Amino acid sequence: MTDTTVTAPATKVGSNGGSAPSLIDADVHNYPNDIGDLLPFMPARWQAYVQQSGFKTPSIPRYPKGYDSAARRDAWPPDGGKPGGDPAFARQQLLDEWEIDLAILNPLYAVANVQNLDFANVLMRAVNDWTAAVWLDSDPRWRGSIVVNVHDSQAAAAEIRRVAAQDSRFVQVLLLVRSHAPYGRREFRPLFAAAAAAGLPVGIHFGGYGTNPVTACGWPSFYIEDHTGMNQAFEAQLISLVCEGVFSEIPETKVTLIEGGFAWLPAVMWRLDKNYKGLRSEVPWLERRPSEYILEHVRATTQPMEEPENPQHLLQLLDMIGDDRFLMFATDYPHWDFDAPDRALPAVVPAALKRRILVDNAADFYAFEHP
Amino acid sequence: MLSSTHDVGSVADFPDGVPVPVRVAGRDLMVVRQGNRVYALRDRCPHQGARLSSGRVGGMTRPCKPGEELVLARVGEIVTCPWHGWEYDLISGCSLAAPERARVATYSARVEGDRVLVTV
Repeated sequence: MTDTTVTAPATKVGSNGGSAPSLIDADVHNYPNDIGDLLPFMPARWQAYVQQSGFKTPSIPRYPKGYDSAARRDAWPPDGGKPGGDPAFARQQLLDEWEIDLAILNPLYAVANVQNLDFANVLMRAVNDWTAAVWLDSDPRWRGSIVVNVHDSQAAAAEIRRVAAQDSRFVQVLLLVRSHAPYGRREFRPLFAAAAAAGLPVGIHFGGYGTNPVTACGWPSFYIEDHTGMNQAFEAQLISLVCEGVFSEIPETKVTLIEGGFAWLPAVMWRLDKNYKGLRSEVPWLERRPSEYILEHVRATTQPMEEPENPQHLLQLLDMIGDDRFLMFATDYPHWDFDAPDRALPAVVPAALKRRILVDNAADFYAFEHP
Repeated sequence: MLSSTHDVGSVADFPDGVPVPVRVAGRDLMVVRQGNRVYALRDRCPHQGARLSSGRVGGMTRPCKPGEELVLARVGEIVTCPWHGWEYDLISGCSLAAPERARVATYSARVEGDRVLVTV
């Protein structure tokens, strides 16, 4: 939409400032209310295509979400539209109410559901330009994620270069965890290379597209299974990224696992490290233990926070992960499984670690400016 | 602490089955009127602090075996948290999923004439 480079305001974030901002939200969702919101960001040919075809949305939900639009019941904007569809209301209900200093927008617009590659790529570019014009311009605390079409890795790479070159308010590339193939496979490498070259982490978010079930053994019946079992997809993606050599081939690669939980991580690292000892000849590009690549290149967001009956078990899990830099706080606003900033982390989490999770880890990983 | 009874509004201020937030004696409460019956609970979910008055008052699915018909029961006696969907019994304040661990404070409430009264 714009030919001019947009530079993010120098928001001071960190632990050393006098009136230091103290909260970064690493997962917020903005949605077009309908396809009409995106039309102004499409070339004339594609506006005509949308109007003629009656295209409404690429979203094809497999399970009713339990709550309309998977949203908090109080997140419907009073002036109409969808949860996450009104920047002013989201600013008030999220940023202002919780005094959030920076929030990363992840528009879950599943362009990869559209098999027409040309149209999917038009939607991809339209969503990104809409995010910039409608959301990022509305408040300096928003940060954006670049939506890409994973069915067309070259086009995705070009889109990353286009957006990154013109607007530094975009701070990551956004993928959905359920995909047609694991993201470590070589077909996706141009996308990861472009993200790394732009200095952007790749966020892999809960949810997805395509026809693969969330489990490796078929389709479950209920949303509770889909929601609970999503960690299987995260595990598969993480194992793929490590074993296919994305981190060893592109050392600048950074990945954020968003909304996938983290309690499963120690078990995966132990299992992968053990297998590496006997099977490393299969993946000779791995020169270190798999867990070392994971802890160096990967972070995870907190929401939906694991809630063990004994909160001390949470500290034990963090100890097993072994790196205080690993977790970044997220609310998942406006979704129904929103985590409240003042309640999500149990009281047993030490203050210094809490500070890391709430602000410093994201500030470091996304290279937000420290005071 | 001594309890006292407060007039929180007219019956018309409490549409049937719709949770309404009220502030009584420095406390945020959620009040629901069902005909002449009134429920008053603390307006805060003990899980993560959401306002229960933004939730929905309805029923619960009756326990059954897999494959049996799912039936709505206790209509009007359950409030569902607007965030994570925790369900609370309006009468006891207990969470349906974990009644021994999660409970919302309840208060005596009644309709008297055209007025809704809550004792806190």
